[in-house]
Amino acid sequence: MMRPKILSLVPRAAGAYRTMSTTTKLTTVEVNDKTGIATLTMNRPPVNGLNLDLLRDLRQSIAEIEGNKSRGLILTSSNPTIFSAGLDIMEMYKPDKERVRAFWTALQDAWLALYGSSVPTAAAINGHSPAGGCLLATSCEYRVMLPKFTIGLNETKLGIVAPMWFMSSFLSVLPRREAERALNQGRMFTTDEALQIGLVDEAASSKEEALEKCAQFIGTFAKVNPIARALTKQQFRSAELEQLESERAQDLEKFLFFINQPAVQKGLGIYLESLKKKAKN
Amino acid sequence: MSTATKLTTVEVNDKTGIATLTLNRPPINALNVELLHDLYQSIKEIENNKSRGLILTSSNDKVFSAGLDINEMYRPDKDRARLLWTKLQDVWLALYGCALPTAAAINGHAPAGGCLLATSCEYRVILPQCRIGLNEIQLGLVPPIFCMFNFLNVLPRRLAERALVQGRIFTTEQALQIGLVDDVASSKEEALEKCSQFIGTFAQTNPLARSLTKLKFRGADLQRFENERSKELESFLAFVDHPQMQEDLGIYLEGLKKRNRN
Repeated sequence: MMRPKILSLVPRAAGAYRTMSTTTKLTTVEVNDKTGIATLTMNRPPVNGLNLDLLRDLRQSIAEIEGNKSRGLILTSSNPTIFSAGLDIMEMYKPDKERVRAFWTALQDAWLALYGSSVPTAAAINGHSPAGGCLLATSCEYRVMLPKFTIGLNETKLGIVAPMWFMSSFLSVLPRREAERALNQGRMFTTDEALQIGLVDEAASSKEEALEKCAQFIGTFAKVNPIARALTKQQFRSAELEQLESERAQDLEKFLFFINQPAVQKGLGIYLESLKKKAKN
Repeated sequence: MSTATKLTTVEVNDKTGIATLTLNRPPINALNVELLHDLYQSIKEIENNKSRGLILTSSNDKVFSAGLDINEMYRPDKDRARLLWTKLQDVWLALYGCALPTAAAINGHAPAGGCLLATSCEYRVILPQCRIGLNEIQLGLVPPIFCMFNFLNVLPRRLAERALVQGRIFTTEQALQIGLVDDVASSKEEALEKCSQFIGTFAQTNPLARSLTKLKFRGADLQRFENERSKELESFLAFVDHPQMQEDLGIYLEGLKKRNRN
């Protein structure tokens, strides 16, 4: 039921929106004057690798969008072929102790902010979206993807165990049977496969069309009271959010323990070597 | 056997042993204190008379149930509002946790509380050109937690969350396609027959083993609700007490009156 206390604290969506464009270092936020919908663009060349700085900017941008009373949030990328390549391996390979702590904490913060966001969220997936890229997309409420790209949580293929909350995002989108299988397999889905299984909701032929379809989804809430909407979404997602909140210290320690295993470091080293070779060719 | 309390009827088919529970509060089976009370009594009666199953339907040929009676929430007497919500909670616990096989023959529109009743059952058959959905949020209400339990029990999670936050109403075809209902029938008789067939699938099943298995699936929801029901009641009372909500409900009721005049 509606909680009047919260109702009185948060004003109803105001009528006028100002166009606003702010740039932190690695993300941009633009609010459409007409629709009141904010587009959050990841902009860290070359592949939107999620490093400490991008994660911090992402989280700050989400908070900014919630604070400026936008009607919704669309997450997209400035890169024409990659939505986000996921976690930046450089943050995990022979890491500085303090920095790797801050890095994982920033990832936890970004997930809590996006998965638990009070505004309607949608991802315009305008490029490949493996691992952390897929995590961001599945933390939103709606996904539109461009043709001939791939998406999935392929952590196991890289020898990494996706934490519990990656599973939470996946389970909020896929049927349990499909989610478990895909995570264990580290499976990457093509746009067509993702559409068929329900991992994405729609396909679009261009970034513009994807943004438009995301805006249409957010438009379905035009007549819905924003507070009632936020509380209803929270009802669905609070258990997973609370779980990470209560376990985040252990979650961090688990990650640090894992990443410091010599075998893991060796594996990451080999992977980075192969990336460098590929880049040279 | 046929017993009539005021607003529901129970008829047990002699041959099949299946009980049909009919909602009968004209004009639209709006759920007020009395109807909820009778509904609860009828569910318990059916459980106790060793029926083989329960089919929920409506005597109205256009509306299964229009959901909670808004008049009960508009400027309510405090004790009466408390009673209304407690009865609704009781009905949900009784129907969702019913030991018998349950099915809904949805022979008319089923918005909000009507959809809640239908999705508390194990099987749903709907007639063409009906509308069904949990649209509470369209009225500015946060759907209570048992709405979420019911939807998650019937729909995939992604679709359940989206439908509840949108307050979406589905047509017969959409409901069938998404799995919100299991079958479509062309008449009420056919709907009742299909519900009977579903209940008939348990003929070879031990009733106790069946009900304990059903409870395994639903026990966590029922338990969580029992733990939270007093808190849940208080938040409903705080909600109906809110001036903005009363104003909205007043406007809504005015609109209904105007529509009825035209």
